[in-house]
Amino acid sequence: MKKHSWKASPALRKIGPLIIAMAALEVMFGIFAPGFSQMNNQIDLLQQISVNAIIAFGMTFTIMIGGIDLSVGAVMALVGTAAASILASCDPSMASSVKLILAVGGGMSIAALFGLFNGIPASKTKMPAFVITLATMLVARGTAYRFNEAQPIPIPDNAATFLALGNARLFGFIPVPVLVMLAVFAFATILLHRTRFGQHIYAIGGNREAAKFTGVNIVRTQVWVYLLCAVMAGIAGMINTSQLYSAEPASGQGFELNAIAAAVVGGTSFTGGIGTMYGTLIGAVIIGILDKGLNMAGVHFSLQYIVKGLVILLAVYMDVRRNKS
Amino acid sequence: MKTIRFFAVMMTVVALMAGCGNNAKQGSKSPTKGKLIGISFQHMNNPFFVELAEGARKVVEAHGDTLVVLDAQSSSLKQKNDLSDLIMQKPAAVMINPVNWEGIKGTLIEAKRANVPVIVVDAPVKDQSLVTCTVASDNVKAGELIAEELARTTRPAKIVVLALSINKACIDRVEGFKKVIAKYPDMKIIDQQECKGTIESSRPVMRDLIGRYPDINVVFAINDPSALGCISALESAGKLKNVKIVAVDGAKEAVAAIRKGKMLATSAQFPKEIGRIAAEKIYESLAGKTIEKDIKVRVELVTINNIEKFAK
Repeated sequence: MKKHSWKASPALRKIGPLIIAMAALEVMFGIFAPGFSQMNNQIDLLQQISVNAIIAFGMTFTIMIGGIDLSVGAVMALVGTAAASILASCDPSMASSVKLILAVGGGMSIAALFGLFNGIPASKTKMPAFVITLATMLVARGTAYRFNEAQPIPIPDNAATFLALGNARLFGFIPVPVLVMLAVFAFATILLHRTRFGQHIYAIGGNREAAKFTGVNIVRTQVWVYLLCAVMAGIAGMINTSQLYSAEPASGQGFELNAIAAAVVGGTSFTGGIGTMYGTLIGAVIIGILDKGLNMAGVHFSLQYIVKGLVILLAVYMDVRRNKS
Repeated sequence: MKTIRFFAVMMTVVALMAGCGNNAKQGSKSPTKGKLIGISFQHMNNPFFVELAEGARKVVEAHGDTLVVLDAQSSSLKQKNDLSDLIMQKPAAVMINPVNWEGIKGTLIEAKRANVPVIVVDAPVKDQSLVTCTVASDNVKAGELIAEELARTTRPAKIVVLALSINKACIDRVEGFKKVIAKYPDMKIIDQQECKGTIESSRPVMRDLIGRYPDINVVFAINDPSALGCISALESAGKLKNVKIVAVDGAKEAVAAIRKGKMLATSAQFPKEIGRIAAEKIYESLAGKTIEKDIKVRVELVTINNIEKFAK
């Protein structure tokens, strides 16, 4: 197969193999894992990946500019914990939708604050994003532990609208987290692939100096990127909290790594400048299929980690080769 | 071409491994070859859970059925997803050892909707009405036993407690312990700190406590792994001789520590028995019998005097 036989756009050329891999995994688990191909199981798959995918969309922006955000898991926990404490301290007679607005608004403001906390030093100083976000991760985690002596905070039963965020289904069929994931995906895709802001992200990730000389406002773009990443982590935190009927200050540990894995399997390059939102979505789906499929095929949990690790390694290896040729 | 070859390799690897797992179980998930039963643990970092799974497996396999063991890695979300995968496959029943006794609620609702009976093992859940029964050690008793042993041997006592208050079983142990200690005016609990119930987490907590209270002579660690962490911290501070350590579990390592005189006592739990009873209750409930809601499994005090019985 020669290169010129790919007539499709570069973006499609990039995700073609990913789609093939996804389809192959679907078929394989369809055979090996009883019940895997059923419609309700496939919908459950989308529900399961929603939290990771939403974090991964934000992570893709940061990796695209050559950065990283390790604080997402902790920010997610903090946002959830803050929202739950707001709900718990609300007057029970208050309308459930008002409570939702208060909790989401409060939580999201905290997420945005941490986005700035990451973005401003990352863009204005020479400190590496890895170290900055490692530090803010500790700050966010510690702040989450300040609530309720680090113990889980239950969501009161009367906060029905908030609980619907993670547990309800539209027409009794499509889970709300999946709808939220698709909405965030649409927003992120348009932003990255259809706006000038998106072009600036590619430019900064590709060649920072060149981008500066062509008049890209590097500082502003970077701050926005970290802000977006933190806010998306916050959205994921709301869904997670709602799904678990309680906020856990200790939750979200290691979620940053899952999100990075989804972005990287989806073809986002760690050096920046290369990647797509569709790729990240498919990356999250592939990881979700592995988690679910291996579980349903009855594979011992120890083997599951090995398989996942190997798949990530292979995906990245292939990606490096593809980018070189 | 090369790309495609690499995908082929990747697929083969996954297929082989998935295949291995499946073959090892003889494809016994088809309804003709027995029922599917699952068990989800908060984590597999404690030999206690491995033994519990073994106890359950014996019973399940004796019935010609299959037991699937899931590891939540201390993440409530992973536990929810794991169990929802399992419930999709219409298991006969699931056993749950919850990460978060409130956060498991969504899963319990899902199981109820799918008509899958739930047996809770080792640590209770908050919404008792959603589960068939709970099989756990008598944790209050476990706390009482070691407190009584201290009252017999170590008075006056200045005690520190290393607790794990996210877990109801551990909350109960502390409660039982404190109830007994309160009877003796010369025994005082001077501080209580949180640890995560592992060696790594208790060691630094203990080190801080030695610094703050040079005159402590008793440590109550919430389980054997945290007791081992305390031993290590006290040993490196050269203070182990002056401090008596008590805990709950009855793990092999703790029994060895008692034999060497590094630990005073532990309340042994019987994880294999918990697993066995939980699995038996599944079959009783499937046979339509009424099940007692709250089943307490015995605990026993291990000291230097009866150590031979527990040497594993």
